[in-house]
Amino acid sequence: MRNSKSERAGYWFIMPWLIGLLLFTIGPMLFSLLLAFSKWDIITGVQSIEWVGLDNFKTMFHDELFYQSLKVTFIFALVSVPLYQVASLLIALLLNMRNKGMKFFRLIYFMPSIIPAVAASMMWIMIFNPEYGILNRALALFGVQGPAWLQDPSYALGALIVMGLWGVGNTIIIYLSGLQGVPEELYEAANLDGAGPFQRFFNITLPMISPTVFFNVIMGIIGGFQYFTQAFVMTNGGPLNSTLFYNLYLYNKAFTDFEMGYASALSWVLFIIILAFTLLVIRSSSMWVYYQGDNEKD
Amino acid sequence: MMNQATTRKPVYSKLFSMLMLLAGAAIVLIPLLWTFATSLKTPAEVFKDDFFPAVWMWSNYKNAVLAIPFFTFLKNTLIILIPVLVGTVFSSALSAYGFARFNFRGKRTLFLVLLATMMLPSQVTMIPMFIMFKEIGWVDTFLPLIIPAFFGGGAFNIFLIRQFMRGIPRDLDESAFVDGANKMQIFTKIMLPLSMPPLIAVSIFTFMGVWNDFQGPLIYLNSSEKYTLALGLSMFKGLYNVEWNMLMAATMLIMLPPLVVFFVAQKYFIEGISISSAIKG
Repeated sequence: MRNSKSERAGYWFIMPWLIGLLLFTIGPMLFSLLLAFSKWDIITGVQSIEWVGLDNFKTMFHDELFYQSLKVTFIFALVSVPLYQVASLLIALLLNMRNKGMKFFRLIYFMPSIIPAVAASMMWIMIFNPEYGILNRALALFGVQGPAWLQDPSYALGALIVMGLWGVGNTIIIYLSGLQGVPEELYEAANLDGAGPFQRFFNITLPMISPTVFFNVIMGIIGGFQYFTQAFVMTNGGPLNSTLFYNLYLYNKAFTDFEMGYASALSWVLFIIILAFTLLVIRSSSMWVYYQGDNEKD
Repeated sequence: MMNQATTRKPVYSKLFSMLMLLAGAAIVLIPLLWTFATSLKTPAEVFKDDFFPAVWMWSNYKNAVLAIPFFTFLKNTLIILIPVLVGTVFSSALSAYGFARFNFRGKRTLFLVLLATMMLPSQVTMIPMFIMFKEIGWVDTFLPLIIPAFFGGGAFNIFLIRQFMRGIPRDLDESAFVDGANKMQIFTKIMLPLSMPPLIAVSIFTFMGVWNDFQGPLIYLNSSEKYTLALGLSMFKGLYNVEWNMLMAATMLIMLPPLVVFFVAQKYFIEGISISSAIKG
């Protein structure tokens, strides 16, 4: 703004962040990059880090569990991101009606996202219990014999996806705030033109909230690829590695097997995957994200 | 067809929507209610079909708290939580003030770096950070979970507070400057008090973050007497002598504080989250 004194003052105020950036982000990233090309079990001190070039990445090519964890994570992301977005948007549309009691419903739908992931996992372990879990008991009322959910390799991943649906409150609230930003006049004009609810949704609502969709899709992808706590607590990757999420495999490699070099290589592959997907969504966004006014300032 | 029906008979469409909302609300609430009901059952009743227990065994809660070292876990959680709250709020507000009110070389670039760090998966820095904390002997102490909060307090929090501070009229701090207040005084006497809404939102998010954190304590805490509530609960899942009813009682206890905070502070909560959707690509 003004003089060099003000310049220095600015630096002083952001100093804690700057130091943190160097100490906890940039420094570790460089070290992690070095480790990705090294072999090192942490037990023998830092001096025994051994440069192995691309070996870790070559190992990945032959590592069945690496492929399995990629597969699990991709299936989860490809199913859950669209599923959660559609479900949250539908619920947000319902919650956006002008009606008494809406505030109450909003509270209820948001509640599960407040519950600690560990607590929710405990709850769902019991819900999914094949004999006395409430899910299979409810299915039995309709004469359906429910599966052994978390113990059955063909159902375990699906069970985790279903469970995630229960906790989409966060996404719902973001959609709701997006919906509330759509100008009422647009709907009034559309009504005069005799547009039905589906036309109103696809021609007005969806384009107007496309920035919100964009934000939620990106957050969904990032979250999906970093899925950890529920899988660790509920299945620990099993049965038969059917829920071995990428992040869980990475954790096992680093903190169970202490293969820090290989785990670092895995973390960079994860980073590149997330980056690629995020860039893909950002690049494609000019085709489907509509910014009202589009006169972004700073 | 349906278009016509719904435009002509808004009453029916409203009724239908309300029914959908009620059904969804039931799906959200029933698991919670059932967990609560189970937490009050006898061990034998857990395996029976009845939704609610015959007699509400409130003593399960007492027994659960005694069966697992609940108060030790609670104490550990608070030992981490309180300094993290102070560190996060103060250091994110400081950085936000720097970005909101000063011009310095490289500010735009640094701000972009700040935004970019929000996208960085924590897994990339997780391993080196662990090694670093291990080398300085901090593993199995609370320090790795506390100290980073004092260095920036999280990119999202800085962003949130900075957006708000930019909305505070410059006249206010400029006239204070003319009156002889220094930058730090302007920060503590004017900017901080005026930025209460985002500061409260950040505090709530931080509380939730620490209370829910699982992977952090899992990596850094080895001895069970140092476990936090989230970690302790999961570790006692496999223990033979912990019954389902008691485990569910403990589960209820760990979800209660965030729920209470949410109901008391829901306004800031929802506002805080809504602001996040204003980030554009």
